[in-house]
Amino acid sequence: MGTLKIGAYEFSSRLILGTGKFSDVDTMLSALRASGTQLVTVALRRFNRERAEDDLLGPLAALNGITLMPNTSGAMNAREAVKAALIARELCGSLFIKVEIHPNPQHLMPDPIETYEAAKILVKEGFLVMPYIPADPVLAKRLEELGCASVMPLGSAIGSGQGLATAGMLRIIIQESLIPVIVDAGLRSPSEACAAMEMGCSAVLVNSAIAAAVDPSAMAKAFAHAVDAGLQAQRAGLMPKGDVAVATSPLTSFLS
Amino acid sequence: MNASGEIDDGSKALAELLSFQSLLSLESLAQRAQALTLRRFGRTISLYVPLYLSNFCSSGCAYCGFAADRKTPRKRLTFEETQNELSALKQMGFDEVLLLTGERTPQADCDYLASCVKLAAKVFHRVTIEAFPMSVEEYKALVQAGCTGVTLYQETYDRAQYDQLHRWGPKKDYDARLEAPERALEAGMRTVGLGVLLGLSDPVAEALALFRHVRQLERKFWRAGFSLSFPRIRPQAGGFQPLFEVDDRLLARLIFAFRICLPDVELVLSTRERASFRDGMAGLGITKMSIASRTTVGGYQAGAAMEGSGQFEVSDERSVEEFCRALRSRRYEPVFKNWDAVYREVEAQKVEVCPCD
Ligand code: SF4
Repeated sequence: MGTLKIGAYEFSSRLILGTGKFSDVDTMLSALRASGTQLVTVALRRFNRERAEDDLLGPLAALNGITLMPNTSGAMNAREAVKAALIARELCGSLFIKVEIHPNPQHLMPDPIETYEAAKILVKEGFLVMPYIPADPVLAKRLEELGCASVMPLGSAIGSGQGLATAGMLRIIIQESLIPVIVDAGLRSPSEACAAMEMGCSAVLVNSAIAAAVDPSAMAKAFAHAVDAGLQAQRAGLMPKGDVAVATSPLTSFLS
Repeated sequence: MNASGEIDDGSKALAELLSFQSLLSLESLAQRAQALTLRRFGRTISLYVPLYLSNFCSSGCAYCGFAADRKTPRKRLTFEETQNELSALKQMGFDEVLLLTGERTPQADCDYLASCVKLAAKVFHRVTIEAFPMSVEEYKALVQAGCTGVTLYQETYDRAQYDQLHRWGPKKDYDARLEAPERALEAGMRTVGLGVLLGLSDPVAEALALFRHVRQLERKFWRAGFSLSFPRIRPQAGGFQPLFEVDDRLLARLIFAFRICLPDVELVLSTRERASFRDGMAGLGITKMSIASRTTVGGYQAGAAMEGSGQFEVSDERSVEEFCRALRSRRYEPVFKNWDAVYREVEAQKVEVCPCD
């Protein structure tokens, strides 16, 4: 069923995984495998070239069939994010960059202004820019105009598990967007991932909900199924909500 | 700010959790604390290591083994020794180092500290300090040198008690100390660590004061990261006995309550605490820990003689490997590198050419 196209890349899986919060590398790797994911994000701050045991890049780079998308988590402004992106590209060779700029290290909300500035530079630098943003329809269009490869609005705060708290805004973003919309952050359960896909998202990114599950691999698989179900439902066309049906042909044509 | 212009800092909620009449069991608090920690920080514990650069001190804190009137031999690491100690720590796997000194002395002043930070920043992605209150300008020099965080415990927020326990020296100035974290943040430090030395005054009152302090800083410096510690008094040269008892259950309650009221801040537990207590608390609010710590000056290099006694006695004496094994057996990943020097370099304006210029 249709692929997710980003730049020259095509992915059959619509589930993107984060790698930051797992209890150990083996658990992370088996969750990645179980999820069938083909695109994975990893923070530059977790690259450790001096201590293999503490390094996330090494084990991820060794995986077949998975594209890496480094992220700039830890950056507080555009300058830092740009520098981090350039170093990450050098170290892992990926064209993807997930721009994450959160000036407040407590709630980790993305800074729309700095993100916009960083995206402007990184698009010119030839990256496939995937900005993590507040669910703001205007910002999403502005980033699209810059040439970003996708937009990644948050469902709710990182690690909050509050699901699609921004659903109303996400719907507008999806309706208007010409580039893939990927819900990032806040999802707690597969049903929420399914809802995001039904709504018309192109993909979802999940980290905490899988890493902090009792059985991460089993949860990864559950998310994969949910994402598929949501995509199929969206394609199949949901029955109308409420008491007004949308007819396929005009109901009043007999009057003319 | 609410409609009447009042700022609710949330300390009421904390007070309720800490109240002795609280109907909430310790177990129920632990469960909430664990759930919140897991969601926000995942199954990871960040590691750091302290390095005492000098035990010269100009103050006379009643509870400290380095107070100026103790017989402890005094030592300050030379730059060469500092370099060797840093290499030894790097070998052990650490990527975050906390550099410590006593109160300001001619032997260990701001310039000395800045030189040591520079050495550390060459090998460590994250370098922070725990030293003495400084001016904005001095903190700026440290930021330039590569320091990104300052830890400074008020020790006690009880003014009367503070005055009595800090018998002489610059540390006697309560306000200079209280306001230092603000100056550090103004100077461009990214993180501040606050704490109280439990046992000096009423622990619940101390906890509330600490909470208000961090909330007030959070509102003003919304870009800053905060970490909180709850050190308990340990045996030290000087033989000071805690004035208030803080048992394991009370300490655990404090930590759980802070996690519930401040779900996003880093909570730190050092090797002052026993191995079994630390293992149990990892992930129940606690997100950051030290290990293999020495509280003597230096002492990490192979064959280094332990000179004199430390600032206090360490309780968890396990090696890095033993500790990591214990964390892993509880399904927590020890994280050595959780930060990247690239961000620090930009902060310190040391960047060569950045395309955004
Ligand atoms: S606590 Fe610090 S300032 Fe006080 S005596 Fe000890 S080293 Fe000096």
